[in-house]
Amino acid sequence: MDQKSMPQSAPLTGEIKVVQKDVPLDERPIEIKIIIPTQAYFLSGIRDFVVNLTKNLTGFSMQWAFRFQAVVDELCNNAIEHGSKSGAVVGVTLISTKGKSLEVIVEDTGTGNVKINAEDLTKLYKEKRGNVGAQYLGFRGRGLPKIVGEWTDELIFENITGGGIRVRAKKYLRKEEAIVSSLSVSNPIHLTV
Amino acid sequence: MTPVQITIEDIAGAASGKIVKLIRVVGQLDESNVDEQAKAIYQVVEANPSGLSLIFDFMGLEYMNSKSIGYLTDWYSKVSALGGKVAIAGARDNILDILQVVGLTQLVNAYPTLDEAKAAVL
Repeated sequence: MDQKSMPQSAPLTGEIKVVQKDVPLDERPIEIKIIIPTQAYFLSGIRDFVVNLTKNLTGFSMQWAFRFQAVVDELCNNAIEHGSKSGAVVGVTLISTKGKSLEVIVEDTGTGNVKINAEDLTKLYKEKRGNVGAQYLGFRGRGLPKIVGEWTDELIFENITGGGIRVRAKKYLRKEEAIVSSLSVSNPIHLTV
Repeated sequence: MTPVQITIEDIAGAASGKIVKLIRVVGQLDESNVDEQAKAIYQVVEANPSGLSLIFDFMGLEYMNSKSIGYLTDWYSKVSALGGKVAIAGARDNILDILQVVGLTQLVNAYPTLDEAKAAVL
């Protein structure tokens, strides 16, 4: 997309907050909120940002930086495709508590082509988790149950007052997922002949 | 649109009646570009209804989303249904990781190098 066709009414905006002022500075959660227009064009920038944030501010390994990049991308794609209409916005909030957890919250406006509430979305998600197995040959339906579901510890769908869905996906940092951990050189899924 | 470049070329040395195409992907496959980029690969699949095998060179692939994986699964289904093979070569760790979590590495074999993928497919 060129600059001329980029939306003028919904610019990329955001804010950074440091919360919990009663704890030491380097242990306080950092909250970053970004508002993006409903255009996939903006997601490559979000992905780069998530990798850098995860790598530099959370304590997670590079493997998890890439995993969280995919989680955020899939949640944003869903919000853009289904939750917020063209010309509306999607909110993306990242909350990092260094050495402890990383949470992403994605909010749509409920104006998109899919009208669903949090309860039904939770039910749909659980069904898909059971149905999308390793031999699944379907074209769509892997993002939420496999990528988001497998790579987060908590996944909560909430109704937003006034319309829309809020998805909260949280990953806790375990010892083996910290910076020192990475994919092994002899990755078992690479075949040799 | 996120930058990505896909090139398709023939691989020489295939047995008689077999056609092996090398599909090289450089950049990122995401929601902004994958539908458009997939068309060229569907043209190859539809133009070669039998004897076709595909090798995806993912050495330059930096990111792929779930829809891209859906397309890859669809090409695998179509090609393997007609007796062909599909292989992945040189994928980076983050790409292998996402292919593994969705289960695609149980369907499509991934090889560290292009030579190894060729040896398996030709």
